[in-house]
Amino acid sequence: MSTNAHHKEWPPSDPKIVKEELLASTKKGSSNLKKISKIMGILSVLGLVGLIGKFFIDGGDQTQWGYIAAILAFIFSVTGGAPMVAIAPFIARANWARPISRMAHVIGASALIVNIIIMIPLLWVLPPLVVEGARRRSIWFEAPVYSPHFWDTLSLIMLAIAGIGLLYVSALPDFAIMRDNAEGFRKKIGTFLAGGFVGSTVQWSTLRMRVGIMSTLYFFIYIFVHVVISIDFSLSMVPGWRDAIYPMAHAMGGIQGGVALVIILAWIMRKYGNYENYLNINVFWALGRLMFATSLMWIYFFYSAFIVFWYGKSMSDNAWLDLLIRGPMVYVFILGMLFSFIFPWWWLIWNKVRNSITGPVIGAFIALTGVFFERIRIYVPAWSVDPKLIHDKWLSVIPGTLYPDIWDILVLLGSISFVILTVIFLSRLIPFIGVWEVQQFNLLAKPVKYIKAHGIRVAKPD
Amino acid sequence: MQQRDNQNRLSQEYTNRVLLNGTLSTPRWWYPLVSVLLFFVVIGFILFGIQIKYGLGVTGLNRPVYWGLYITTFVFWVGISHAGIMISAILRITQAEWRRPVTRAAEILTIFSLLTALVFPLIHAGRTWRIVYWLMPYDAARGIWPNIRSPLFMDPIAISTYLTGSTLFLFVALIPDLAVLRDRTTGFRKGFYTILALGWRGNPRQWKMQVVGGILLSALMLPIFVSVHSIVSWDFAVTTAVEGWHSTIFAPYFVIGAVHSGVSAVVTMMALMRWGWGWNDFIRPEHFDALARLLTVVATAWLGFTFLELLFALYGLDAPEIALREMQIFQYPWNMLFLTFLLTGYIIPVPMWLFKRVRTNIALMFWSSILVNIGMWLERFLIIVPGLARKSPFVFTWEAYSPSWFEWYVLFWSFCWVILLMLLFSRVFPLVPLFEQKESEVFSDSIKIGRATVPTIFREEEEEEED
Amino acid sequence: MSKSILGLFLDPNHAADAMDGLKESGFERGTFDVLTGTPYPEGAFGEYVPQHRLFRFPAFGAIIGFTVSLFLTTATQLAYPLITGGKPILSIFAMLIIMYEMTMLSAVIFSVIGIIFESRLPNIKPGIYDPRITEGYIGVVITVDDSDLDKAQKVIEKSGSEEIKVV
Repeated sequence: MSTNAHHKEWPPSDPKIVKEELLASTKKGSSNLKKISKIMGILSVLGLVGLIGKFFIDGGDQTQWGYIAAILAFIFSVTGGAPMVAIAPFIARANWARPISRMAHVIGASALIVNIIIMIPLLWVLPPLVVEGARRRSIWFEAPVYSPHFWDTLSLIMLAIAGIGLLYVSALPDFAIMRDNAEGFRKKIGTFLAGGFVGSTVQWSTLRMRVGIMSTLYFFIYIFVHVVISIDFSLSMVPGWRDAIYPMAHAMGGIQGGVALVIILAWIMRKYGNYENYLNINVFWALGRLMFATSLMWIYFFYSAFIVFWYGKSMSDNAWLDLLIRGPMVYVFILGMLFSFIFPWWWLIWNKVRNSITGPVIGAFIALTGVFFERIRIYVPAWSVDPKLIHDKWLSVIPGTLYPDIWDILVLLGSISFVILTVIFLSRLIPFIGVWEVQQFNLLAKPVKYIKAHGIRVAKPD
Repeated sequence: MQQRDNQNRLSQEYTNRVLLNGTLSTPRWWYPLVSVLLFFVVIGFILFGIQIKYGLGVTGLNRPVYWGLYITTFVFWVGISHAGIMISAILRITQAEWRRPVTRAAEILTIFSLLTALVFPLIHAGRTWRIVYWLMPYDAARGIWPNIRSPLFMDPIAISTYLTGSTLFLFVALIPDLAVLRDRTTGFRKGFYTILALGWRGNPRQWKMQVVGGILLSALMLPIFVSVHSIVSWDFAVTTAVEGWHSTIFAPYFVIGAVHSGVSAVVTMMALMRWGWGWNDFIRPEHFDALARLLTVVATAWLGFTFLELLFALYGLDAPEIALREMQIFQYPWNMLFLTFLLTGYIIPVPMWLFKRVRTNIALMFWSSILVNIGMWLERFLIIVPGLARKSPFVFTWEAYSPSWFEWYVLFWSFCWVILLMLLFSRVFPLVPLFEQKESEVFSDSIKIGRATVPTIFREEEEEEED
Repeated sequence: MSKSILGLFLDPNHAADAMDGLKESGFERGTFDVLTGTPYPEGAFGEYVPQHRLFRFPAFGAIIGFTVSLFLTTATQLAYPLITGGKPILSIFAMLIIMYEMTMLSAVIFSVIGIIFESRLPNIKPGIYDPRITEGYIGVVITVDDSDLDKAQKVIEKSGSEEIKVV
C-alpha cells in the first residue's frame, strides 16, 4: 500500500473504494436536495411564465428586452465557459484538474434548454439586418434573409451538441462502470451509453484521441458562439460601435464565470458530498490561481478597448464612452469593475486566500456577480438604443437608464434555477467526479518520500 | 565520473563539462563567425554615422510614410523579446519540465532583442541627439514640447521596465551557474565569477530562494510582458489619423503575435545551439515537440485575432478603410506581401506541426520557425506601411514606400547584432542553465507499470507560505 | 576557538544520515548545514530552513514605485500644462500606464534585492567549501568548538563520507 496516509486529503489508493465512493454520488442526497430541487422547479416555471408574460406585453418593443438578452449572454457564456477549465489542463496533461473535469463538462451541457428557450423570443424581437432598404453594420456582409437569426440559433445548438458530446466522450468509461456496478435505471443508462466499452488498449487510446478532438472542437465552437452572439445581440445594435476586441473580451468573461461555477460546484460536492479526499486543497489552489488570472485578463481586455476609445475621442469613440461607461450604466460599470476585477484581484492575490478552500469560493461568487453586471452593462443599453438611429454614423442620442421589470427578474431567477435543476438532475445520473480519471491518477501519482522530503511522484507516460 | 549513474541519469560532472564547453573553451567555428558578424556590425555603425551626417534622406521615408522599415523592425524585435518570459515565466509557473534547456537562451534573446529594439527609435529619429530634448525637456523658448500623454512616451518606460526586469531575472537565475564557473576556472576569470557569484554556497536556504524567487519573479514579469507589447501596439491603435490603426484588438493581437514570433525564434535558436555546441543530450527532439505544440495553439489564436481584425476593418462600412484593405489584399505589390505573410506565418508551418514526425525533426522545425519570423516581420510591415501610404484623403499625397538599401542593411545589421551579442554572452556565461538540468535529473526517475517503464517526476509538497 | 568541518558525500542518503546523526548528537540546529550543487526537494536532508519574508519585498517595492510614479506623472503634467487631444491636464488613464510600469519595475527590483538578501548574499566570508560540490558531491558542514571536533568528525565519518576537511 502507498503512503497515502501521510497526506491529509488524498484519494484512496484502492480502485474499488474509489469506484464505490464516487458512484455513490449519484445516490447521495439529503432531503434538502429534494427541497432545493422543488424550489428550483417552481422558480423555473415562474421564469417561463415571466418570459411568456414579457413577450405578450413587450413583444413589439426591442428597447425593453435588454435584460433578457443580458441573461441569455450571461447563462450561455458562463456555463459554456466551464468546460474550458477541463480542456486546457487536459491538453497540457495537468493532473490537478482530474477531479473537477466531469463537473466542468456537466455545467457545459446544462444550459442547452435554457439557452434555446430564452433565444426564441429574442429572435422574434431582434431587428432584421436590412431595415428600410439599408443594411445596418453587421458581420453578415451579404445579409441574406435568414441572418443573423439562423446563424445565432445554429451556433447555440452547435455549442449544446459540442457540450453534450464532450461530456459523453469523457464519461464513457464511467458509463461502463455504471453498467457493471450500478442498479436499476442507472444500470440501464450505463448499459445504453457505454456502447460496448470494455477498457481494451485500443479503446483507451481512442478515448484520449476522442476527448482531444471534442475538446478542440468545443473550444472553437465556444469562441465562434461568442463572436456571433456578442456581435449580433449587442454590438451591431449600436450605430458606430466598432470594437474588434469585444468578442474576445466577451469570451474571456465567459471563461471567468465558467471557472467560478466550477469552483462553486466543487465546493458544494466537497462539503455536502464529503469528497474532501478528492476535492482537496491542490484543486482549489489551482482553481484559485486560474480565477486570479481571469480577473487580470478582464482588466486587460477592458483597458485595451477603453484606452483606444478614450484616446481616439472621435464621435463614435465618445458615444461608446457615454453609452457604456459614464452614461446610463455608470453605476453598473462601477459595480462590474469592482466585482470583475478589483475585489477578486485584491482577494485572491494573497497566498493564504488562494491556498485555502473557502478563499477561491468567495472569489468565485464575487467574480460571477461581476460577469453578470458586465453583461447587463453591455446588453441593456445596446438594446435600449432607438432602432431608428441604427443607420447613423455614430450614436447621437444616448438612451436613458432602463431598470428591470418583474418579468426580467422572474426570467433571471427562472433561468438560473433551471440550470441548477439540470445540474442536480445530471448528478443523479453521472458521477460528478470522474471515476476513471481518479483511478488513472492513482496509477500515475503517488505520495512518496525523497530521502526525507515528502512529495508526489508523478508518472509521465506521454 | 561517469556520464550516467545507475539510474540512467546524467551525472552533474558530465552536465558541467558538456554545457560549459562553449564557455570554458572555444568551439572552432566561434572565432570565424564572430569575426564575420563583427564586420557586418561595424559596417552598420558606419552607416549610422552616414545617416546622421546626411539625414533621413538616405532612407525611403517620405510624406506620408513617415514610419517604415525602422519602426517595423522595432516592433519586430520587441515581439521577439516576448519569447523569454513566455518560456521562462509561464512554463516555470506551470512546472513544465521541458522548459529547462531553453530558459536562459530565451531570456538572453529577450534582453538582446530588447536592446536592439531600443536602438531603433534612436536610428529612426534621424537627429538622434534630439531624443535627449524629448526625454528631458528644459524650459527654453523653443516652443516645442513632448506630448507626455502619448504612447510613444510610454514605450521607453515599458521597454526599459521589461529590460531591467529580464536582466535582473537572468542574473538571479545565473548565480548558481556562476558558482560552478567560479569552481572550474582560475586566475582573472575565477576572480570575475567569484565576485558575480556573491559567495554562493548552495545551502538549502539559497536554493529555496532560487525556487521561490524564480516563481515570484515569473509572476511579476508576466504582467509586464503582456503590457509591453500592448503599449507598443497603442502607438498605432490610439490614433484616428491612419486607416486600419484605430482598432481595439491591437493590444492582444500584438502580444499573441509576439509570442508566436518569439517562441519561433527560440526554436531557431535551440536548433542552432544543439548543432553548434553538440548538446544532443540536453536539447532533445521532445523539446521541439513540446514547443511546436505550444506554437500550434499560439499560432491558431493569432490567426483568430488576425481574422477578427480584418473582419472589423470591413464591419464599419467605412469607405477609406475598405479601400485600404482592398489595396492590401488585392493590389500589387501589397497582395504578394500579404500572401507571403499568410503562407509563411501560418499556412505552411502550422499544418506541418500537426505531425509528430515534423515536430521531432529538428531541421524541419528550424526552417519552419524561420518562415514564421519572415511572416511576422511582414505582418508588422503590412500593419504599419499601407495605412500610412493612404493616410490623408488627398490623393496627390499618396506615395508608395520603397525602402532603400540603407534600411535593408540596418535590418540585416540588427540580426547580426543580436547573434553577435548572444555569441559573446555564450563565451562568458552558459547558455543552458546548469542547475535546472541537474535539478531535472535529481527529480526524475522511472517506475514500472506492468511491463512498461514510465518516466516519473518528483513534485514537492506545497507548503504554507507567508503572504 | 571554533572550527569548521566539511564532509563530502556522493550518496544523498548518507548525507541525510550525517545530518540526522549531528542532530541526534545534540549539535544546535543553526550550526550545521548541507551544501549541494543542485536543488534537492525541501527537507530531503532533514535540514532546517527558517521561514522567509521574501514576499514583503515586492509589496514594499510596489508601494514605493506607485508613489514615485504618481508623483512623477502628476508633477510632469502640472509642469507642462498642455492640453493634448482634448484630454484633461491630469489625465488619469494615461498616468495609469506609466504608474503601472513603474510599480511593477519597483516590485521587481525590490524582489531581486529580497532574493539576494534572503539568500544571505553577498557572502563575503563564504567559509569552508569544496568545488566538487558543484560536480555532484554533497557537503555537510558544521561549525563546532575544539572540544566537539572529534565528536562531529566521528558522526560524519560513520555516515559514509568520501572525504572530510577541517578548517
